[in-house]
Amino acid sequence: MLLPKFDFHAPETVNEACQMLSEYGLKAKLIAGGTDLMVNMKKKILAPEQIISISQIRELDHLDVSGDRILIGAGVTVADLCESKTIAGYLPALGQGANNLGTPLIRNLATIGGNIGSARPAADLPPGLMAYGAEVVLQSKAGIRTLPLDNFFLGPGFTALQPDEILTEIRILVPPAGSGAAYVNIGIRKAQDCNLVNVASYFALDSNGIIQNARVVMGCVGPKPFRAVSAEKILIGQKPDIQLFEKAGEAASADSQPIDDFRSCATYKRSMVGVLTQRTLQQAWTRIKNQE
Amino acid sequence: MSEYNVINSRATRLDAPAKATGKAVYIDDMTLPGMLYGALLQSPLAHARILRIDTSKACKLPGVKSVVTAKDAGLIKYGVSPARYDETLFCHDKVRYVGDEIAAVAAVDLATALEAVSLIQVDCEELPAVLDIDAAMADGAPVLHNDYPGNVCAEVHAEFGDVEAALKTCDLVRTTTFKNKRQDAAFIEPQGCLANYDLSGNLTLYSSTQVPHYVQRTLSMVLQLPIGRVRVVKPYVGGGFGIKAAANHMELAACLLSMKTGKPVKMNFTREQVFTYGRARHQFIHTMTTGVKKDGTIVALKHQCHLDGGAYSSFGIATVYYSGSLLGGPYKLPNMKYDGYRIYTNKPACGAQRGHGGVAARACWEQQLDMIAEELKMDPAEFRLKNIMVAGDVTCNDLNMSSLGMKECIEAIRDGSDWKSKKGKLPKGKGIGMACGFFVSGAGYPIYRSDTYHGTVMVKLTEDGGKALVYTASAEIGQGSDTTFAMIVAEAMGIRLEDVRLESGDTDFGVDLGAYSSRQTLMTGHAAKEAAEDVKKQVLDVLSKELNVPVSDMDIRNSFVVFKKDNVDFSGLRTRYIKEHRGWTDNPQSGPLTFTEAARIAYLAKGSIVGTGKYKPPQLGGKYKGAAVGTSPAYGCSAQVAEVTVDMETGQITVDNITDAHDCGRAINVTSVEAQMVGSVSMGLGEALFEEVKFDNKGHVINADLSEYKIPTMLDMPSVKPIIVESDEPNGPFGAKEVGEGAIMPTIPAILNAVYDAIGVRIHELPLTPERVWQAICDCQKEK
Ligand SMILES: Cc1cc2nc3c(=O)[nH]c(=O)nc-3n(C[C@H](O)[C@H](O)[C@H](O)COP(=O)(O)OP(=O)(O)OC[C@H]3O[C@@H](n4cnc5c(N)ncnc54)[C@H](O)[C@@H]3O)c2cc1C
Repeated sequence: MLLPKFDFHAPETVNEACQMLSEYGLKAKLIAGGTDLMVNMKKKILAPEQIISISQIRELDHLDVSGDRILIGAGVTVADLCESKTIAGYLPALGQGANNLGTPLIRNLATIGGNIGSARPAADLPPGLMAYGAEVVLQSKAGIRTLPLDNFFLGPGFTALQPDEILTEIRILVPPAGSGAAYVNIGIRKAQDCNLVNVASYFALDSNGIIQNARVVMGCVGPKPFRAVSAEKILIGQKPDIQLFEKAGEAASADSQPIDDFRSCATYKRSMVGVLTQRTLQQAWTRIKNQE
Repeated sequence: MSEYNVINSRATRLDAPAKATGKAVYIDDMTLPGMLYGALLQSPLAHARILRIDTSKACKLPGVKSVVTAKDAGLIKYGVSPARYDETLFCHDKVRYVGDEIAAVAAVDLATALEAVSLIQVDCEELPAVLDIDAAMADGAPVLHNDYPGNVCAEVHAEFGDVEAALKTCDLVRTTTFKNKRQDAAFIEPQGCLANYDLSGNLTLYSSTQVPHYVQRTLSMVLQLPIGRVRVVKPYVGGGFGIKAAANHMELAACLLSMKTGKPVKMNFTREQVFTYGRARHQFIHTMTTGVKKDGTIVALKHQCHLDGGAYSSFGIATVYYSGSLLGGPYKLPNMKYDGYRIYTNKPACGAQRGHGGVAARACWEQQLDMIAEELKMDPAEFRLKNIMVAGDVTCNDLNMSSLGMKECIEAIRDGSDWKSKKGKLPKGKGIGMACGFFVSGAGYPIYRSDTYHGTVMVKLTEDGGKALVYTASAEIGQGSDTTFAMIVAEAMGIRLEDVRLESGDTDFGVDLGAYSSRQTLMTGHAAKEAAEDVKKQVLDVLSKELNVPVSDMDIRNSFVVFKKDNVDFSGLRTRYIKEHRGWTDNPQSGPLTFTEAARIAYLAKGSIVGTGKYKPPQLGGKYKGAAVGTSPAYGCSAQVAEVTVDMETGQITVDNITDAHDCGRAINVTSVEAQMVGSVSMGLGEALFEEVKFDNKGHVINADLSEYKIPTMLDMPSVKPIIVESDEPNGPFGAKEVGEGAIMPTIPAILNAVYDAIGVRIHELPLTPERVWQAICDCQKEK
């Protein structure tokens, strides 16, 4: 398969890249690891005339804790996420997503920014990120704006990103004590598989052991990853236990909007939302208990 | 300790350094001066009448050197089996599947060739398509080939014994229906070729093929080239599994384009084209009725099978025979009736894939046998052992088990998996299951009717005396056959493996039917052994004269000449040898006479020392129609135990362990035998759990890539415990027989039986995706 023809740019700063984007507009496409974009270009789904690589931009490579926030540069690779102690310590649900993404070869190239930017409903990182309440930082020549990740995805392949914007950073509040999260995905085989269903759950307890905050995020069962609002309602104000998780699972199942496709039927996916919701809540609960 | 010096050991493969360093040359690495690139125009419609093909725009595109259609190619029919030649190089009247070849272009580069293809205009009238067996067999269904009304490509009816009468005598009779799915073999290297028609009218085709010999014959016939003008060379090949076991359209098109332009033409399939070309395992729908006695004696099998063949015959005639005949063993079965139908549909043709014709049939039957054993309250291993054949038994359809370690295989896996402490004792969600199988060790007859030898081998000693050179037209396609033949030659000559060099895969080296039907180790191996023995005898004959020692008092071992009686004075020979090599640094000064010295002396006496070997199986099989399919000089057999964990909530299966025993006769290269066993498990596991080529309602493959066509990853592979069971096959070289295909037979049914043990419900359709397993669990819970 041949690639369409294009010009290639490799700016070294975000400002330079923004300048190029403002110049080329819709003719340009950013490339990070290229593991999504190149596939689309080979399949002739996309044929951008200008390709702007962000791989040389060192400003996008950071992964730090700064005050009460964890800051992840958009250029951080999935392999970096897998190895990071910060991720394993503070954001294990994101780490689970990273460890289940693709293969070692893909993880070495794929970036967190690209995973968000490609806006695939089955992607492995968004559910975990949304469960932690992540925000994305978008920069253009005109300036910087931030957006909750919940509001960033619009549909399969569609995002709130403007043609002249770059996603530069992902910001997550350090999860409070007494909180936990987990991510589980299932596919047909054990690896390198487009997920059939993926779910991330997060909840935080108050000092009385009551759930005061909860987020359940489902992938593959709608045009974008989205929150299981009724499941969250069931959780909040209750003490965590298996029966509660089961009820939340049922509610999430009902919230999901799966469709039949060639990978699997909607009935199965809906049912699996319930199973995975329960399992992620159970794992999150175990993580909380292990902190004590 | 083995009684052998070279074989029956773990040898490093000859191709290991080249492959490990990336220096091995595959088609994609090859270029020739002035080379053009070719591309194919393939049908976007599943069924249509061609009204007009206009190539004028394509011809005018700068950089295009030739555009060819059926007008240029002619309409000579070809295929695999001469009984069903139903393809032409290009379509002329109709297209019959999405991907059917209409035209080809050669241009200065691939981009230009592809652009030219897009400029070819084809006017056609779309016809209704039939995309599955039911639609193809319905009354009034559209017909693909006028010569085959009702879309029946081939049917087989055979009965051995009297099945109906036998079933009446049975205490238990059970019927089940089973379905697998169309496969893709997912070899790592898509087909590719490079054709070079030279100024003297000789055509050389370099191709990623398993069968240089058959490709050579098809090229000669279809392109009407005179005998002796066509040479086919196989560089390194990244797997084939049966799909590359016949000439394809791309090879023919590249040759035609090279003949038209006088330039070398290279063509490659994309991965998508690998899927649209097809020729892998059929979808089979089996219905089997088995009758047994109370004591577990198997009495009769009534078997009906429908194969979704796709648009052309390919290997399908053999396939529809094999799927019946390969149930004749390994259990004693006095009565067997088979009715098989291969049906044309508007999809890519199916063909032969590892375990040709037998894999789905085996899966169906071995699961059914387990169901019967359960009803009889017999342990599945005991039930099988009760009915097992032994060496010397002949099946009801005349297949002769000249060696058969089937019983030993069952015992090995039973003991190796700790079966007795696990079967029936595992918790819900955990299961253990077993199955058996056997396969030919080389088809008894060539694909075309002929008295040809199935393999010839030539061994020549280098004139300086250093090495034995082996020339064989056999096909190393990744399975390790080159190393196997070098080992056989070294063993037979009495020299070290490092003293053998080998060239293979070139029709100029002789005749070899190629890498299919698990034939090369036995057949090419025989020829290699005979050629080596010929050379050895010639060298010893010369020594005998020179030294005045009878041949019977000499031998060659580890590249030294061994005199059985003491005090043979060979100093005269040594002095002569050293004189011949004045100034060389590795002349022998002391010690025993070396093979190198002996070989040089032989050359001085006789000129080049060349030995030849050949092999052809004896007359095999019965006299009934189709008796040839399934015959073989020997049969390999295997048994496996699968242990699985099933997630009862999601339906996900994890295969935890496979204990795998295979009788390969004598193992030549132990490492390669085990690699075939483990590779077979991987392929069988994929078909059992994941793999299915899917189509939309217009006949397009919708998962024509390796992200959506799911073969097992390393993480899906269980730990496999390979146990080699050695029998001494009287018809094999050094007692060797097959391992490449028989080893896949038990995998699917062993997994099916283990899954049943884990979840308590039988599933009769592949693949066992999480959804299918989950559905089965739900349905079963609802019933309760
Ligand atoms: C074999 C294979 C297996 C895969 N398996 C998985 C899997 O298991 N799970 C999974 O989730 N994904 C998987 N993917 C998809 C892909 O690898 C991931 O989505 C990956 O994270 C994409 O990152 P990238 O850096 O390669 O993105 P790229 O391909 O470089 O970019 C993807 C898109 O995001 C845009 N983009 C990239 N960076 C930015 C930025 N900083 N700002 C704005 N837009 C940006 C690009 O313009 C493009 O549209 C797989 C892909 C392949 C080829």
